[in-house]
Amino acid sequence: MTSIGTGYDLSNSVFSPDGRNFQVEYAVKAVENGGTSIGIRTKHGVVLACEKIISSKLLKPGANLRISTVDRHAGVVTSGLLPDGRHLISRARDEASSWRQTYKGPIPVHALASRMGGYVQAYTLYSSVRPFGVTAILGGWDSEAELGVDGQVGFGPSVGAGGKLEDEVVKRGGPGLYMIEPSGLYWGYYGAATGKGRQAAKAELEKLDLASPTCSLSLKDAVMEAARIIYVAHEDSKDKEFELEMTWISTLDGPTKGQHQQVPQELLEEAEKAAKKSLEGDDDEEEEEEEGDAMQE
Amino acid sequence: MIGPGTGMLGEDGIHIDMNHLKSGEVNLGTSIMAINFKDGVILGADSRTTTGAYIANRVTDKLTQVHDTIWCCRSGSAADTQAVADIVQYHLGMYGIMNNEPPTTQTAAALFQELCYDNKDQLSAGIIIAGYDKRNGGQVYSIPLGGSLHKGPYAIAGSGSTYIYGFCDAHWKEGMTEEEGVQFVKDALREAIKWDGSSGGVIRLVVLTAQGAQRHLYLPDQDYRGPGYK
Amino acid sequence: MPGFDFSNYNRNAALHARGVPLPKATSTGTTIVGCIFDNGVVIAADTRATSGPIVADKNCEKLHYISPNIWCAGAGTAADTEFTTALISSNLELHALSTGRTPRVVTVMTLLKQHLFRYQGHIGAYLVVAGVDPTGIGLFTVHAHGSTDKLPYVTMGSGSLAAMAVFESTWKRDCTKEEAIKVCSEAILAGIFNDLGSGSNVDVCVIEKDKPTQLLRNYFKPNERVKKERDYKFARGTTAVLNEKVITKEEIGRYVTVHELSSGSDSDSLVVVEKMDVDEV
Repeated sequence: MTSIGTGYDLSNSVFSPDGRNFQVEYAVKAVENGGTSIGIRTKHGVVLACEKIISSKLLKPGANLRISTVDRHAGVVTSGLLPDGRHLISRARDEASSWRQTYKGPIPVHALASRMGGYVQAYTLYSSVRPFGVTAILGGWDSEAELGVDGQVGFGPSVGAGGKLEDEVVKRGGPGLYMIEPSGLYWGYYGAATGKGRQAAKAELEKLDLASPTCSLSLKDAVMEAARIIYVAHEDSKDKEFELEMTWISTLDGPTKGQHQQVPQELLEEAEKAAKKSLEGDDDEEEEEEEGDAMQE
Repeated sequence: MIGPGTGMLGEDGIHIDMNHLKSGEVNLGTSIMAINFKDGVILGADSRTTTGAYIANRVTDKLTQVHDTIWCCRSGSAADTQAVADIVQYHLGMYGIMNNEPPTTQTAAALFQELCYDNKDQLSAGIIIAGYDKRNGGQVYSIPLGGSLHKGPYAIAGSGSTYIYGFCDAHWKEGMTEEEGVQFVKDALREAIKWDGSSGGVIRLVVLTAQGAQRHLYLPDQDYRGPGYK
Repeated sequence: MPGFDFSNYNRNAALHARGVPLPKATSTGTTIVGCIFDNGVVIAADTRATSGPIVADKNCEKLHYISPNIWCAGAGTAADTEFTTALISSNLELHALSTGRTPRVVTVMTLLKQHLFRYQGHIGAYLVVAGVDPTGIGLFTVHAHGSTDKLPYVTMGSGSLAAMAVFESTWKRDCTKEEAIKVCSEAILAGIFNDLGSGSNVDVCVIEKDKPTQLLRNYFKPNERVKKERDYKFARGTTAVLNEKVITKEEIGRYVTVHELSSGSDSDSLVVVEKMDVDEV
């Protein structure tokens, strides 16, 4: 850390001569030490997963959830300083509810990401505050249904709205996955990873070929992969115990009906079992796995 | 009646005073409507604006654009409805820029309703919102005096609308062609103008489809047959 | 607190409840009109200001300056039209200075309607806004409650019906400047002669593209006061003198105190017109 002692890292509102904001970079360090969080976006929905390090044997298993619902159709998971994450999630909830109040409908996921990005960025500007020590992964589903206005009375014509263009209707709604960093920077992703095991997780995510239009990953596959990736990412800090937490959001005709929910216990256990199994035979199966990937192409 | 309220409870139900306008206020004693049809929506209105018994404007344009393909029909106080439409137009403009995608008709309807409901004691505004977008097709919403929001296959409003409830009910068909739709709106408004003293002048229409917005004009001295779209 | 003080309204309402008639605001029972022509726009107004049944001003000005190329004709409460147009004119000049652009007629119309709407009709200003700007020719009416209309010819005020009758019978589209001035001034004359609230003279303002604006004050004076045809003065000596008595200064000094005023030649001395004698204590 060459910056230490130069004085340019003491305040938020001060740039270093080469144009860096060290406070923000330190915040990124805080994130890099946090538990791994990932998100997978498929055509059929979004899966969020995180590695919850067990800091005490006295903590109740399955309690103290780390992935939060922000609105019915959106969830957020954070890595880094947990209280900072809680505050950001609280703000995200406020944004989602204020949107509902003005526009009488759910906030589009991209708009929520933009609001969260804007909020986080504001904490890099003033000397009176410190940046957020978290990176947040936001997953959501914009409804593909013809949405009405909250509180409206009645329906349109029985034959449906006139003049819809079918190829445009298909484009309506869909999954959204965004990652918001301590600088306020946010991008949309097919697969996102942050926290301590992000490098390993990203390598695994890339293998899934999520960006390809022919990607055949089902939402259940995505859940299985998410569990496996969290287990892979945990390999480097094997000495610590952890708990796997997963949520998902599906299409309207999928298992969650467009809502952000916990992955059901049976599926979670199934995924965890498969993840553990794939790791046990890791050394022998490595080549086999590679082959498996090749076949998918 | 207590205070300056607009409604009162009588033995035979609630009565709303439709003529509680401040003295000298410009009134859109009006016939307005909007319908869904096969390819989108059609909005229609007469063109009479009155101050008491005097026609302050005989060629008024009560069809107001609030975004590219979202329009509204205004009835009630001219000042109130213009102010509300101006505010909504501003918000929709901002929405389009901030979110990098055009607002939907639902967004517009939500904004109109918020304003009309929150300020219901100050406003006398009856507004129909109609819009078209390629994904959701045509939508027709109506906001009557109290600020509730009604979605329907078609909507009629204004003082002249009372005369055409039967006409519209009898002649309404779902999934009309553009030609049938224009004829339906024009015939209904002709009837409203005929019976309602506060409605009159020309008939203005706006047809909203994937092709965009197209205005029509029909003149009384051509028996409301022309000149048609411009 | 900024804004209006309504305490006088409450006072007047209380007095009125006890039988005192309400004070009357000077109201311009008025005829104002406007008409566009091929290269610009004309507005015109009468010049009578009334206060109830009284003519308060026989030659007032109802054409108000907004900017060099935008003018307003005002009807309604005289003070409100005067101050509202002055306020908007001032704000518009600041706006023009900060943007470095010539102001637009729609801007004026929007500022006026938003201001008037905020006051819910309590500002009794009924205005015809006219002008030319880089986007073209503009002519609008703005009502006190904040509604606006855009038309090729407009009338407002108590004489608007008489004036509109003139427009509806003689107006032609694509008219020249001279034709526009003619139809506008005739519409005002119709108001002057047929509306009790309007009277006196015709003021006209011509705003033309790329030309200086002309304010034709008292373009017509159809109500000029002429010398009375008959003289009602009594000739000297009409009243007979029955007797005559002269009272001198000395005589009247017995009853009242008489002070000598200095003569005109002694200009230095202070002229005391009135002086009071006070008893010494």
